[in-house]
Amino acid sequence: MKPRSAVNRFLVYALLLGGSAVFLFPLVWMICTSLKPVEQTMTLPLTWLPRAFYAVVDGRRMEVTRDYRIEQPSVIVVPNEGPTAGKRALLPAAAFDRQKGLAHIQLFEDGLPVEKPIAATLIKDVAPGWWHVTEFSATHVRAHELSWDVVPESALEARIRPRWENYPNALATMGGRSLEEVEGSVERRGTGVSEDTVVSFRTFLRNTLFVCVLGVIGSVLSNALIAYGFTRVRWRGRNTLFALTLATMMVPFPVLMVPLYGVFKTLGWIGTLKPLWVPAFFGSAFNIFLMRQFFRTIPEELSEAARIDGCSEWGIFWRIILPLSWPVLAVVALFHFLWAWNDFMGPLLYLTRKHTFTLALALQNYQSQHGGVQWHLLMAASAVVVMPIIILFFFTQKTFIRGIATTGIKG
Amino acid sequence: MSRISAVLLCLLLGGCGGAPDGKVHVSYWEKWTGAEGEAMQKVVDQFNRRQDKIVVEYLGISDLARKTLIATAGGDPPDVAGIWLANTYTFADLNALVPLDDFIRGEGTTPEKWAERYDPVYGDMGVYRGATWAVPSTPSVAVLYWNKAMFRAAGLDPEHPPRTLAELDDMAEKLTKRDPQTGDITQLGFLPQEPGWFAWAFPQWFGGRLWDGQEITIGTAPGNLECYQWVQKYTEKYGLEPIKAFTSGFGNFASPQNPFFSAQIAMVFQGVWLNNYIRQFAPGMEYGCAPWPAVKPELADFADAEADMLAIPRGAKHPKEAWEFIKFVSSLNPQARSQKELLGMELLCFLQEKNSPLRQWSPFFEQHHPHPYIELFRRLAQSPHAVHTPKIGIWEEFASEQGEVFEKVRLLMEPPAAALAFCQGRVAERWAEHRRSLARHGLYAGTAAPQSSAAEGHPFP
Amino acid sequence: MTSREKHDLRCGLAFCAPWFIGLGVFMMYPVVASLFYSFCDYSVLQSPVWIGLENYHRMAGDAVFWQSLKNTLFYAALSLPLGMIVSLLLAMLLNTQVRGMTVFRVIFYLPAIIPIVAGSMLWLWIFNGQYGLLNWALRPILGVLGQAPPTWLADPAWAKPALVLMSLWGVGNSMVIYLAGLQDVPKELYESAEIDGANWWGRLWYITLPMISPVIYFNLIMGIIGTLQVFTQVFVMTGGAEGAPARSTLFYALYLFSTAFYDLRMGYASAMAWVLFVLIVALTILATKLTEKWVYYSG
Repeated sequence: MKPRSAVNRFLVYALLLGGSAVFLFPLVWMICTSLKPVEQTMTLPLTWLPRAFYAVVDGRRMEVTRDYRIEQPSVIVVPNEGPTAGKRALLPAAAFDRQKGLAHIQLFEDGLPVEKPIAATLIKDVAPGWWHVTEFSATHVRAHELSWDVVPESALEARIRPRWENYPNALATMGGRSLEEVEGSVERRGTGVSEDTVVSFRTFLRNTLFVCVLGVIGSVLSNALIAYGFTRVRWRGRNTLFALTLATMMVPFPVLMVPLYGVFKTLGWIGTLKPLWVPAFFGSAFNIFLMRQFFRTIPEELSEAARIDGCSEWGIFWRIILPLSWPVLAVVALFHFLWAWNDFMGPLLYLTRKHTFTLALALQNYQSQHGGVQWHLLMAASAVVVMPIIILFFFTQKTFIRGIATTGIKG
Repeated sequence: MSRISAVLLCLLLGGCGGAPDGKVHVSYWEKWTGAEGEAMQKVVDQFNRRQDKIVVEYLGISDLARKTLIATAGGDPPDVAGIWLANTYTFADLNALVPLDDFIRGEGTTPEKWAERYDPVYGDMGVYRGATWAVPSTPSVAVLYWNKAMFRAAGLDPEHPPRTLAELDDMAEKLTKRDPQTGDITQLGFLPQEPGWFAWAFPQWFGGRLWDGQEITIGTAPGNLECYQWVQKYTEKYGLEPIKAFTSGFGNFASPQNPFFSAQIAMVFQGVWLNNYIRQFAPGMEYGCAPWPAVKPELADFADAEADMLAIPRGAKHPKEAWEFIKFVSSLNPQARSQKELLGMELLCFLQEKNSPLRQWSPFFEQHHPHPYIELFRRLAQSPHAVHTPKIGIWEEFASEQGEVFEKVRLLMEPPAAALAFCQGRVAERWAEHRRSLARHGLYAGTAAPQSSAAEGHPFP
Repeated sequence: MTSREKHDLRCGLAFCAPWFIGLGVFMMYPVVASLFYSFCDYSVLQSPVWIGLENYHRMAGDAVFWQSLKNTLFYAALSLPLGMIVSLLLAMLLNTQVRGMTVFRVIFYLPAIIPIVAGSMLWLWIFNGQYGLLNWALRPILGVLGQAPPTWLADPAWAKPALVLMSLWGVGNSMVIYLAGLQDVPKELYESAEIDGANWWGRLWYITLPMISPVIYFNLIMGIIGTLQVFTQVFVMTGGAEGAPARSTLFYALYLFSTAFYDLRMGYASAMAWVLFVLIVALTILATKLTEKWVYYSG
């Protein structure tokens, strides 16, 4: 429908743009988070763009992280005595007696906390609103070795800097290594280390591609064969079997789950990738249905003519029908690839060893890997899992949409 | 086309080439990470280096029990699994473990003699329904840790920990401080729920029983009620809201803000590992370890004993080699006089700073163990009143119901008798159901497996 | 049979051979076996033992089972109607002829093909109570009313609505099906309606909806089957099959999964699966009966 008036047109555009924003925001947010350093993912108010801050600390201009804002008037002092002599400390102004030069610092003595006044020299006063900043370190150097200071907001310079290193870091840690290991500051050694201790991203990708590609081959071949048998050959019992096929589309997966697991266990396939791609070689009701719809549109005369010419049924299938069926074959291939790439429940059920995981399962496993969730790395890993699908989609849009539409119309 | 199909065929057949070094690779799943994991890795290294037929591959994973069970169900389990004691009985009932008796007999000894290598409570742990399903790797015993500085500050003799329950309550009272103006608690002597990890053993500490081998007795055995009344008394004494306010400020266990490390609570029941954490987070703290204060004089030297176990899941591909490794971990070098000479179990327990469950200790282990109070742990493990987890296949559910009783009572939500009766009903029903299931599969002998009273720790005949 | 018929029979069977295995081994055998298991005490580590209706009895008295059913039905009751309305409205919007429509169609469809695990991670982050995108947008709006935004997945009362909201993001599939249906509506009908003076609402109610009623019916059935089985998003976003917080997100498929693979009570899980099957069939029949009257098939 073409909008008649300008007002209508404006309304439509407004709704489209508004809706697009709502639908795109989450993806944009995913990318934004994936490019931030960890401390900027968990700050309020939220920022969209990753920033890098620069300030003068210890006489040098360096990149810093903004830790927190000072709430109350405070002072930076250096104790002249005691266990922390020589180390700068930040105290509330009330804890420092200027006249006497005494700072009240909390220490542990005999396992009991005591507060003792210690002689200390004042370095500088700090006002509320100032930022506590720490020297930025890309690697995990011990925190107490990093320089820190408290500076006013005006002394901070901010520049936009996306942290592209999150992506290689996320991929490197996805299989079980910690960031420290990736940086090389910690080494994992020992004899007989299980291959599941550290799995590379490439392995996950390879497993996923393996399952997807084999599944696509199996799906296309088997369903084409079966649909041909249902459509282009007339034989007794065909329609009953087809009705049964349609009926099976109603069966929910949980009904099949437990016995299927038992079947795979008997075959010894649990723990391998086989349960994920072998069933594709034996047809699926949905794809049979799709292909059948298409095959019915090919004129029967073509087959008849070929039969008269002495062509075998297989010959007709392979040389005539199949080449004409590119559209539906592409749809089935695409759908299966997408489904296999995204499949989570299958890998969850059938895969036990980390080096066999697919991307979907590896991503979910990554979430629970370290103590707390590291959102910037998790978002980077998610983006990497999503990207190939989006790229695939852009190249195959028409096929996609046509395929989905076909299922709905005749359904 | 043919090259592609060759590659495909190769991939389909599961990769070209088997284990290239000709050794048997044993997969070992364990729950330990960090320092404890590294300790076990060293024992694995030691085993791998001593012989050239077997290579054990160590893997530390989260959610070990569940993952092992699923892998076993799928027919693809690890060869050795480091499960908890509590899992052992459930797994055995599910037919998920391989009994070790035949392996033991293959060593030229009997399961009974094998069990005698350990202190009685540990030797008995893995024996269930007439078979040995798992053997202990590292033990865990809880004792009473007390903060000597706080004792001194309160005017108590810092070298005299409470020896009876009455003394415990009395000293706790003296060690509890309140803010004179607000009435808020600023320091506590003792609180049953802190940390509450051993609350499952409290009824038995009072001479009660959770299970008599046939029937559930949490709601019926005397002593259980007394125990929970004592728990309730603590909340009543100090007030529910003041306790909530005070405990909400407690920090993480593994941090300097641990309430025991930061002098907020003077006495806690904790395990043998606490020494390690004290060294990390509260170095220099003056503390002592004492046995559980006796509730009744004839129940002195009570101890709860648990352990990490090593078992072979059913369907493991290399059970014989798995046994070789388990055997190694369960052995020691009785003449070890330096850390280099420690072997197997002692190396593991030395590095993890726990006591060894074996009866015999090498001279080095005895004299140079990093835990200053290790002898106490050893003595308690040998005590006739040491108890371990009840050998019941529904322990996880039982424990969770029992935990509810503790919560309800300490939060003053229900009186102890009512909470115990409710728990008794639910667990008894679940137990009856489980027993039916066991009988159906031919696993329930109709009578309980013989249990030595020392192991169960019940002082009643 | 004539020789031609015999030949055709052999051909047909040969071509359909893979499906016999597919249907037999991967479909019919499991259907029959799970029915059998539902009457058994079965953990895959031991052989099944017949116990009659005991699993079903236990189900009737299992509070957690009823909770999971309630959770699932609540979710379906919200997600299905909302999803259908949203996808239909979007399809109608996308059916207008403006420039750049292809781009817009892609944008609206894209979320539907995002891998569910990745999408769940993303929404888990968006729903974060403190730093999430959603609350960042809601805080100022609700602040005016003096309210704080809910903590979504951490709050038992808001966890399911959060999942419903996320499902609306992924309506792309049904939206495209509606779009195809809308495009099939003959333009002459609209033109003659306009000539007769019908306004936008009239056109919608009297032409559009009846003409796409088969599509609506299809999406309804697909929706029923799908929402009652929802698993992956919930599993990933609530950290496993616990249904945290407080079992508010313990959906039926989740409880089934944990019963089968964590407790190894596969007989009970099979009984649950059959109850689900019967429920889906019943709802489908109900939906068909209720909508029979106004689904109009134009030849």
